[in-house]
Amino acid sequence: MVHHFSRRTFLRGTGVSMALPWMESRSVWGDESVGPSSQAPVRLGVLFSGNGFTKNEWTASGQGRQMELGQVLTPLGDFREKLLFIRGLYNAEALKGGIHSSQTGNLLSGAPLASGGEIRSGTSFDQVVAQCYGHSTKVPSLVLGCERSNPGVHKDYSMIYSSHISWSSPTAPTPLELYPALAFDQLFKDDVQRGQRSVLDAVLTEANGFRQKISSIDQRKLDEYLNSVREVEKRIEQAGKRGELQGWRPTLDKPNIPRPPEGIPQTIADHMRLMCDILVLAFQTDTTRVCTLKLNNDHSALQFPHLGVEIGHHELSHRNNAKWLKVNQFMLEQFAYIARRLDAIQEGERTALDNSMLMYCSSMMTGGHDATQLPTVLLGGAGGQLQGGRVLDYLDKPNRRMCSLYLSMLDRYGIHLDRFGDSTERLREV
Amino acid sequence: MTVFYGSSFATGDETASFSTIGENYERNIRPLMRQLCLDCHSAEQREGELDLEQFANLSDVRRVPGIWLKIAEMLDNGEMPPKDSTQPSTQEKRQLRDWIKQYLHNEALAGAGDPGSVVLRRLTNAEYRYTVRDLTNVDINPVRNFPTNSAAGEGFTNTGIAMVMSPAMLQKYFGAGREIAAHAVLLPSGFRFSRHTTRRDWRNEILSEIREFYSKFVSAEKLGTFQSNLRFSLGQAGLPPMEKYLVATLTERTAIMTGTRTIETVASQYGLNARYLRILWSSLTDSKPSLILDKLRSRWRSSGTEDAAALVADIAGWQKGLWTFGPVGLYGKKGAPARWMQPVNPLVTQQDIRLAIELPETPNTETQDDVVISLVVTDAGDGNDQDFVVFQQPRLVASGHADIDLKDLAESGLDPGMFGSHPNGKAIDAASICVRAPSVIRIHLPIELAANREFVTTAVLEKDTGSEGTVQVLPFTHSAHDTPSVLPGLVTCDVTTEFTKTGVLVAGRDRNVSFTGAILVSENSTARQRIETAMDDYRSVFPAAFCYTQIVPVDEILTMTLFHREDDHLARLMLDEEQSARLDRLWEELLYVSHSPLMRFDAMDLVLEVLAGNEAPDFQARYNLFKPMRAPLKKLAADFRQTLIKHEPRQIEALINFTSRAWRHPLTDVEADRLRGLYHQLRRQELSHDEAFRLTLARVFVASPFLYRLENVPKGSGTAEVSNWELANRLSYFLWSSMPDVELRAAAQEERLTHRHETNNDPGNTKSDSASGEESDETDAELLRQTKRMLSDARIRRLASEFACQWIRTYDFGSLGRKSEKYFPEFADVRGDMHEESIRFFTDLFQQDGSLLSLLDADHTFVNERLATFYGIQGVEGTDWRRIDGMRQYGRGGILGLAATLAKHSGAARTSPILRGNWVSEVLLGEKLPRPPKNVPQLATTVPEGLTERQLIEQHSSDAACAKCHIRIDPFGFALENFDTIGRRRDTDRVIDVQTTLPDGTSIQGLPGLRDYLLNKRRNTFVYQFCRKLLGYSVGREVQLTDEPLLAEMQRQLKKHDYRISVAVNTIVLSDQFRRIRGLSYNR
Repeated sequence: MVHHFSRRTFLRGTGVSMALPWMESRSVWGDESVGPSSQAPVRLGVLFSGNGFTKNEWTASGQGRQMELGQVLTPLGDFREKLLFIRGLYNAEALKGGIHSSQTGNLLSGAPLASGGEIRSGTSFDQVVAQCYGHSTKVPSLVLGCERSNPGVHKDYSMIYSSHISWSSPTAPTPLELYPALAFDQLFKDDVQRGQRSVLDAVLTEANGFRQKISSIDQRKLDEYLNSVREVEKRIEQAGKRGELQGWRPTLDKPNIPRPPEGIPQTIADHMRLMCDILVLAFQTDTTRVCTLKLNNDHSALQFPHLGVEIGHHELSHRNNAKWLKVNQFMLEQFAYIARRLDAIQEGERTALDNSMLMYCSSMMTGGHDATQLPTVLLGGAGGQLQGGRVLDYLDKPNRRMCSLYLSMLDRYGIHLDRFGDSTERLREV
Repeated sequence: MTVFYGSSFATGDETASFSTIGENYERNIRPLMRQLCLDCHSAEQREGELDLEQFANLSDVRRVPGIWLKIAEMLDNGEMPPKDSTQPSTQEKRQLRDWIKQYLHNEALAGAGDPGSVVLRRLTNAEYRYTVRDLTNVDINPVRNFPTNSAAGEGFTNTGIAMVMSPAMLQKYFGAGREIAAHAVLLPSGFRFSRHTTRRDWRNEILSEIREFYSKFVSAEKLGTFQSNLRFSLGQAGLPPMEKYLVATLTERTAIMTGTRTIETVASQYGLNARYLRILWSSLTDSKPSLILDKLRSRWRSSGTEDAAALVADIAGWQKGLWTFGPVGLYGKKGAPARWMQPVNPLVTQQDIRLAIELPETPNTETQDDVVISLVVTDAGDGNDQDFVVFQQPRLVASGHADIDLKDLAESGLDPGMFGSHPNGKAIDAASICVRAPSVIRIHLPIELAANREFVTTAVLEKDTGSEGTVQVLPFTHSAHDTPSVLPGLVTCDVTTEFTKTGVLVAGRDRNVSFTGAILVSENSTARQRIETAMDDYRSVFPAAFCYTQIVPVDEILTMTLFHREDDHLARLMLDEEQSARLDRLWEELLYVSHSPLMRFDAMDLVLEVLAGNEAPDFQARYNLFKPMRAPLKKLAADFRQTLIKHEPRQIEALINFTSRAWRHPLTDVEADRLRGLYHQLRRQELSHDEAFRLTLARVFVASPFLYRLENVPKGSGTAEVSNWELANRLSYFLWSSMPDVELRAAAQEERLTHRHETNNDPGNTKSDSASGEESDETDAELLRQTKRMLSDARIRRLASEFACQWIRTYDFGSLGRKSEKYFPEFADVRGDMHEESIRFFTDLFQQDGSLLSLLDADHTFVNERLATFYGIQGVEGTDWRRIDGMRQYGRGGILGLAATLAKHSGAARTSPILRGNWVSEVLLGEKLPRPPKNVPQLATTVPEGLTERQLIEQHSSDAACAKCHIRIDPFGFALENFDTIGRRRDTDRVIDVQTTLPDGTSIQGLPGLRDYLLNKRRNTFVYQFCRKLLGYSVGREVQLTDEPLLAEMQRQLKKHDYRISVAVNTIVLSDQFRRIRGLSYNR
């Protein structure tokens, strides 16, 4: 807020293309976001599942405890007072391709997607939060997934779009962690090997040498590498320095669950549950404040034998039957599970859920590729900045861009932008 | 781009000048577009972000040729102008379309050969794994937990833009590097990689290598036990199959002697070691006298094949007599033998005979039989010239009784005249007997005297007449009842004893020497030397063990020996120089890798500590026994430490050489120094050599030159040839998804791959037609030679799995393809086989240089039993894969009939003519369909009662919005409807409607109809599509307009050469796209 101007100018540059965010961000606004404060930080959790939901069952009406939820949303029944149901938002760019991949890769950025063998989207709003706000924690953000991405190109769009909602830069979808054990390690593994710094210095020098000799396009690609090396160096530097922060302290300073077993859990239910636990643990220990969890891909092939559903998620989404509803509810149960866990963590007067802003979204409303309005639910109090128990309907309003919602959400993190994606307005009511 | 297939750029038709095209644009096309398009696509409106108003003239047009490709596509698909706006007349549409075609054609030609903009490529997960495998010879696969690669460009994962790096990824790469480095085994000469990561496993790995080495020559036989105060096993002796050797010499005796067969041929026929067979043969046929061997020789000469076993028994007897084994665990202990197997010389100058008289069991229980002592005296097989032996004072001894001299024992049956007299009449000691071999002295003892007494005498050679004698004396007792064949008393000639109790003794006319008894000789006699030589001769051919295959001694509780090497006999008798060197190297590695001297010293101290801590006398004695070993072990350990330090620089240099391979270019001095620098920096941070080495090795794998395929971009605005190394890398990553092998590296090193002197940075002078194949120079020839070699190599399987499977979209089918367990429980078992079939099918196509058209009309495929059963093919047994022909009779053949493609493009529980049809249209024909409508109607999961899947789809597709696409894809899928969800034939018991009418009106029937249609009517499209995909894969980018002339050339060459697949590959390899790179300021 104090350094509001510098951040904004930076982000405005070319859309939200952040050239070398890690390198410069600290010196530019490194210390502003928290500082010594007794306030618990606001966490951001974004959950996604692909292919939309059962027709006419993603609904809500009424207020507070009296809110009536459609069948897909029944798992959220306990949280009606902390829930903000937002109807009618859409992402203009997602309508252009009209097919899965082109509706997902820009869901959190509102950016145009490049087709024809190219890959370009926009920095997603969760990563904007991570890049501006993430450096006060050990890990800037945690990006998780429960389904492998699909190598291939679909209808002229790389399938990378179907499996990546989080983008670190317009050309760099944030790699997802699929393995619970490795996600756990990302958060808590602190074994800085002696000599590691020297190794990183060496490879950095080397890559810098090459950088002089290659084209500017290649330089951009190599910069991803260079920045990653620098970032890892920085983390090594910071390792062991935690705990020196003044003010607010998380309720847990080390994990209270064991490191999950290696590999991918046998059933999808176990897999998702573990990833949810890790998200909660990350927030509870304040290891990161930004977590994006992709439950499945758009165009997903996941099956749910434990629900008696042996048809791939995407194939199922083109039907509208009881099994589809069952799978939809299963997805929302994950969201409810996280909320329940966070709500049980008392952080001073509020719960961790009150101190968080959780969002559930999908690439389309129904399996028929309908993205003219996107299913969107927010949960949690954003540290007293968000009023739950409400239904907001934007369907017939002129300003109904997803990106407007993101602008409003970014405000809660002290990131006040003039424009994001295709929007320059906020959703005032949020 | 369908706009271009079949166009012939090479022949130069359809070319008009740019000026004509420009005039036409301004005069006709621009006005037409203003009328048709600019309502929406004006500079102001920019509908779909497309501004068509910006193109005032041809030079504007030429700035963004890509847009015109898009426009052509929109026109062809009928997507533009939109249905609700003014439509062009047929004539207008053709005019517009023709102009675009003409323009694009010209544009393509003008920029032909442009290498394009290839975004820096990181290794894909597969490339990483293959590269590491080829580098280390171990399949470590550290990328198993990496995120799946995504695809871009022409739909392949090897496209630079699809590869993202992030801090989390970098940490994974670092972890992967460390994992690889943990597999490095440091060796005296450098290092290598192992499947394992612990010293213990590395040691065991080398141990089994040594054992395996031994086992190629000898088989291990367990020896008996060694008895001291405890019993210990003597371990295992390595012995060749002696009987097989003897059988060979006996069977082939005449052939070898007459020279009709050589030792080598016989050896190879019988599976024997030629070197040893030769040595054995010489020993058996040598005419140089050698006492013990002579006996074997004469037996061998008179034996037939059937006697081999008896000969082996004889040899084994001698081996036992001439060698002895001791425990090697004692090795190094004071007074312990120096070797495990030691020669024994059964030569004595005097033989003390002390015979406890056993009362023989007698058949007659009432009267005990008397006892007979026989002293059998033989000439030891070499004649009896001086074989005079004296039995000094033979007597009966019993404690508490006076000795009874034999001389005084009348009952003995001996001639009293024998005592005190040499056979030559000379007097000797009065109580002694002197006889000349061969003789048998039978001494009769009454039972009452024999009981509880010992017979005692000492045999020596008679000092005057017997100094050069050689005699064997064998004393034993038996019942007077037995052995009637020999008379009592002295028998001096023609002794044909039956005393074969030992199985060997034959004395008399058949002169012999026995391995069961000692041989009496005189000190320093020539006879003694002669016999010693004879024993050495024998031992040198027949060691009792060729090597100590046990290696790790198990004979002592407290052993200070970790490994014992004793294989000099093996080396001498069986190994050539190279084999010996390999064995030496293995042993050197074993001692080095196991850190054996350090471990032994540490163990020693531990042992001493334990022993010293216990005051029991037993422990003290042991302490004293072990204590003296400490100093030498300490010295060995110190020396070894020095050796380790001495080898450090060599290992670092080996690491630098290795890095050059890993980074796929010769290292610059700066790069090499930087590596050394890091190592030394780490040492200064107090990391051990081992740690610093491994971290430096890990660094090699996390470095950009390993992870990325970096190429130097030349200065200038034109294009230039890439370097030899860069081209070698391009070639090997194209064909093998991995680094170049030795041969390709040599070609790069010797600069045989490019003509760099022709480097050309002039933008106006881009070479455009080097792919014609007509101007073939030496460099082309070398490139083609390498390509041909690489295509036939086994590694070409990777082109099948990486390129072909990605193209036909079955890439992750083996692991991820899923079907309903409820409806298709059998699918999971056969899924991997289906995937393997596609890989093998393509691998074979590349390796055998098959026809591209066989992708459609092959009559063969590859199956194992499980897949054959799945296909309903009889007579294929076992898990081995094999090629089978005649697939057409099963209604299959080619990629249309692969279970993998059929199952992949089905739902989880039912077939999907839409998915299959779309696959044919998009993957095989490269057609681009308009986008699906916004709200796709829902379909039923399973087929409703009374409807077929086809009817279900037809119902769905009758919706007008849907029909415009479905009419173009579904019919292809209908033709394949007789294959079920997992690719099985399902028309065996019912009729499935596979008749369908294709978009162009052709009516076809089933897979054969579809195949013929694609093969004949759509051949050019199919071939174009394949070429396009292969080109896109090979250069790692999307195919662009200026590639069209090359694609046309590929098609022309394919047609000319029976569509052989190598022609497509070769044309790419020789193309400018493949061999050149855009300059730093490329500006075309």
